[in-house]
Amino acid sequence: MPIPIFIAILTFYAMSSAVAVQASLKLPETVKVDPAALTSEPMCDPKISPSWRAAQEIEGVKIAASPGCSPDNPAWIAAAVKGTNNISMETLMKTGLSPDAIIKTDDLDGDGDPDRIIIKLEIMELNGRTPDFQGLVPTFDIAPGIQPGAWVFAPKTSGMSTENFESVRANPLLRLPSPVIRVEVGDIVQIVLENTHYFPHSIHLHGVDHPFSHGEHGGQDGVPQTSEVELMPGERRVYEFQARQSGTMFYHCHVQTHTHLSMGLAGMIIIEENKPNNWLQTLNIGGGHVRHPSVAVLEQFDQEYDLHYHAMDKELGQIIQKYNDPRLIARDMNRRYDITDSTEDYFTLNGLSFPYTLRESLIIVEPDQKIKLRLLNSGGEMIAVHTHGHHATITHYDGVEHNPIAQIMRDVFDMAPAQRLDLKLETVNDGKHSYGEGDWLFHDHREKGITTDGMAEGGSMSSIVYKSYLNGDGLPKVSHFGIDLNKYFTKEYYERRLPIWQDLDEWASLGSPAGQSNIDATTQTSLLNVLYGLLIGFFTYLIIAKRQQIKQTVSGVTSRLKSPKGGTNNG
Amino acid sequence: MAKATMITFLLAGIFTFSLNAMAQEKSKPGEHDHHDHSGHSMSQDSDPAVDHQDEQTTTMDHEGHDHSIDHSAHSVQATEHGDLHHHHHMDHDHIMDHEGTMIMGQNLDTLPSSCKSISEEVEITVRAGRKYAAKFPGTAFAFDQQQWNVKPCAKVTWHFINEDHIRHQFMMHGLPKYLYKYGMFHLEVTGPKTVSGTIIVPATDETYLVHCDISQHMEKGMKAQLVVGKGGENIPSIPGLTPYNLTDTYESENLPKVSDKTDKDSITNQVIEFINTNSRDYGAMLMGILIGLLSLPLVKKITFRKKND
Repeated sequence: MPIPIFIAILTFYAMSSAVAVQASLKLPETVKVDPAALTSEPMCDPKISPSWRAAQEIEGVKIAASPGCSPDNPAWIAAAVKGTNNISMETLMKTGLSPDAIIKTDDLDGDGDPDRIIIKLEIMELNGRTPDFQGLVPTFDIAPGIQPGAWVFAPKTSGMSTENFESVRANPLLRLPSPVIRVEVGDIVQIVLENTHYFPHSIHLHGVDHPFSHGEHGGQDGVPQTSEVELMPGERRVYEFQARQSGTMFYHCHVQTHTHLSMGLAGMIIIEENKPNNWLQTLNIGGGHVRHPSVAVLEQFDQEYDLHYHAMDKELGQIIQKYNDPRLIARDMNRRYDITDSTEDYFTLNGLSFPYTLRESLIIVEPDQKIKLRLLNSGGEMIAVHTHGHHATITHYDGVEHNPIAQIMRDVFDMAPAQRLDLKLETVNDGKHSYGEGDWLFHDHREKGITTDGMAEGGSMSSIVYKSYLNGDGLPKVSHFGIDLNKYFTKEYYERRLPIWQDLDEWASLGSPAGQSNIDATTQTSLLNVLYGLLIGFFTYLIIAKRQQIKQTVSGVTSRLKSPKGGTNNG
Repeated sequence: MAKATMITFLLAGIFTFSLNAMAQEKSKPGEHDHHDHSGHSMSQDSDPAVDHQDEQTTTMDHEGHDHSIDHSAHSVQATEHGDLHHHHHMDHDHIMDHEGTMIMGQNLDTLPSSCKSISEEVEITVRAGRKYAAKFPGTAFAFDQQQWNVKPCAKVTWHFINEDHIRHQFMMHGLPKYLYKYGMFHLEVTGPKTVSGTIIVPATDETYLVHCDISQHMEKGMKAQLVVGKGGENIPSIPGLTPYNLTDTYESENLPKVSDKTDKDSITNQVIEFINTNSRDYGAMLMGILIGLLSLPLVKKITFRKKND
């Protein structure tokens, strides 16, 4: 019996080795992904009107040009500067804001600008779960196809949470990051938190001069272990302060901070110097270019940008996508999630990762400009922001001016978690401040900071772009170098399904090889069928040849089972 | 469900509905010239129009800032939502006041094409708030009721009372689009406050989705349905009423109990605890031993017989 088996194995081995030899003579072809097979997005979001880029005046508010591809809605800026209580219904309707979102009144010091500022914030969930269908609502992509579960402070809106009743995409006001808040030294500011979320939250005003407790509104530090109880869903709390010092500061939720901050409940708050006629852009929704800078900034700078760096853990965000029951979400977030075993996966600049940073977080400059950059790191780790082609001067640490004589220039800016830096970027082509015009990258130089869940190019990288390097769409002009950025605007790229070097030469020398088996699928199956047939034939032969033996064994076993006693006795 | 619904029949005073159309029950009568009762020809007849014109001429660089002085007259507390005379926005199907109280898609008098006349006139009070979620474990927000029933061609006036200190919405979908923009009727108000609005439902038996569209409010319980006549297909995942399409899986946790605490030091307790925690493992092992013992003779027989052969 062993002989035929041995022969069969030998035959099979000979056959397969012959096939292998054949295979090594000709390696598999390169499979090139057809661009038509990708879900391509337009590089510039077509939903944003190009007319928003121009310098304009709305409600008497001068709004600077912002030539990037996705500039802020000018109506948002007008509403933020005048207050939603001081603009026409027509403008208000273009913002989507609630009419009581930003209330500005009372010129208390008689210097021509309002000094009582009420800002209403709600808490919104992005990319959350629904019990009705597989999928997330309302969706917010930080990069193509990347939808981490997130929470944000959002300006108080009016109407739906989605773009419209047929869409699952979030209302443009509901987005990462939480909005940048701007108020003046001496303003009596009320930040009214209306907790529209299903979990308790609070606001802590990190770095902002605020009282620990307020006679009317109670505890003001936002910390459930020291000054106040958690603000429950459906409730409202007023945080009131009158800041005496200016600076770039930070606000965030202080309930279960280790998860709530990372989920997105963190934003920049900037206290501007008190100046006459200083109508501030109270909210910079989405951060980035400040199109209506303060009087003090305009005295010294040509432009101003708010740059909010953040990091998120994929597994943390997935908790809100896994369950609908808030108790299960609370269980996993508060007691099962272990931040000491976690890693950060998504690195964002103003709520977005590359390539979307190109749409709205470019620093667009001209030669010989002075630009104020305000940076916040709200991630859980140190970051190291590097500016290609430029050295910038650090003017302020954590909102406090550094001794002007001792101020230093660097091209890597390390920032601890919660740290803020104010930078002076001068586009003077002297080989130090700037090396000249170009599309100069600026990015977190921890290399994971330029990835999205480990896939490069992604993360928080963006560019300092000189206007001569900007194309008509407001994106960096790169095609003259033969560069095509289209592949980044596909979800397949971040799904790791697109061989990134396949288009570097005509024959895709570094593309993806086809499967290792050199036999195509149909031949393979027919060959296998032959093999099965062979085996079946072999066994049939065995059964027929040894039928007498088999008969005996079977009858023996059955007789033993029928008379167990006899069997034992015999034994 | 319907029993509990607060339905009041208005036999007289049809025209009072047009007054209900006002979102701002707080607003002083003198502030509005008021619309005619069609509700569809509300024009810019209220004073805010004048106000806004005034503001449009005010620029940033102006000295004086009439408007800010204007406002200083009002005591502005965050909780009071500022001054009361701003932003009374009105067009065909969109009424909004200065606090964002909103009525959209209201229909006071246009009969749906399927109706010959109004069958009944009802007023329904809907309460919204976190506290109504208390009776539905695993939810965060809810309406006080999850279903309302009306007759086909009923004229329904909704009094939407938001008892929380945040925004809530009463949003209805699936209405005929020739009458209601996007097929929607929408009330929205920051509580604690009430907003009222009226619709006329079509003649067909149908079930309409009612929800709050603020992110996660519907998903976490603020969902209900309006049943017209015999109704249509049920809306899924209404708390206590219809099943979820996607359900969570639950496992009980080993949470501390008072009974764990008593006599914790006694040896018997420790033994019991040990047995309890390990009973499943040892039970399985015991089963294994039993099976082994029972099958032993059988195995023996077979092997012995083989040897004999």
